[in-house]
Amino acid sequence: MTFKVRIGNTGQTIDCARDRTILTAAVLAGIDIPYGCGTGNCATCLCEIKSGEVELLPHGDGALSQRQKAAGLTLACRAEPRSNVEIVWLGQPLAS
Amino acid sequence: MNEATSIAAARGAACRALLNRVHAIQRSDGITAASLQQIKGLLVELASHGTSLFPDEDFAMPEAQGRNHMLDPAADDGLGLYLTISLPGKEAAPHDHGIWCINAGLSGKEVQRFYHRTDDGKRAGFATVEQIAETLVEPGTAIAMADHDIHSTLVVGDRPARALALYGYALNRFPAVVFFHPQFKTCRTLPSKRQAAHA
Repeated sequence: MTFKVRIGNTGQTIDCARDRTILTAAVLAGIDIPYGCGTGNCATCLCEIKSGEVELLPHGDGALSQRQKAAGLTLACRAEPRSNVEIVWLGQPLAS
Repeated sequence: MNEATSIAAARGAACRALLNRVHAIQRSDGITAASLQQIKGLLVELASHGTSLFPDEDFAMPEAQGRNHMLDPAADDGLGLYLTISLPGKEAAPHDHGIWCINAGLSGKEVQRFYHRTDDGKRAGFATVEQIAETLVEPGTAIAMADHDIHSTLVVGDRPARALALYGYALNRFPAVVFFHPQFKTCRTLPSKRQAAHA
């Protein structure tokens, strides 16, 4: 199953399978989304969920707090879509 | 002194003794492949005390899936000793954290994979890596890594992985960490914490 993910920062909408993270789908679509570790430890890919639902893969305590989750934030590198989703990234790109 | 206080005191003494021995090895031999193996043996020995020194109730589980408990609150810039807890599925992509480390299992199982970089490093943001080894860290086993070795981690099985981790610097004073993403052929560098820590 595939969902639509709208990236608010760029206005682009991409396809993302339910077993693929939003980060992976975005990078493979050529979107310059900020990311660092890619495995839920650094929070560089912190995003706000504007609409829709995601399921989070395991991540570190320091990367996303319960309070942030409750406030609608997520990690693009750990978030798999469970519906059509719109997100806005909040982080800044790292030095390469 | 009640039992919990007694265990904490014994744990503190054991950790300080380990760090003193590691400092002595560093002073006499420096950090080499041989000295890392020697230090690895010391950490495995400390971990062999298991719950008698490191009882579950003294170390809160993660709120999410991964938490580090510092074991030496008086740590200076020289070493960082932690009890790490990671839940099944917790992973870290291949990365070079710039400083040596040793990881010894207390309980559970964590797969450690090792890589080497196969590109020339001249193109910003681009990197390719190749896996060269894999080992399972569980009670009685450990891994030792030199300053710029590249590794990834994945907790497997159905139990949390608890381990002792010793780094050449405390985590809040880490140098830049480079993460590699083989699926994208990219690398990303997290900023060093050293300048801020020393400010």
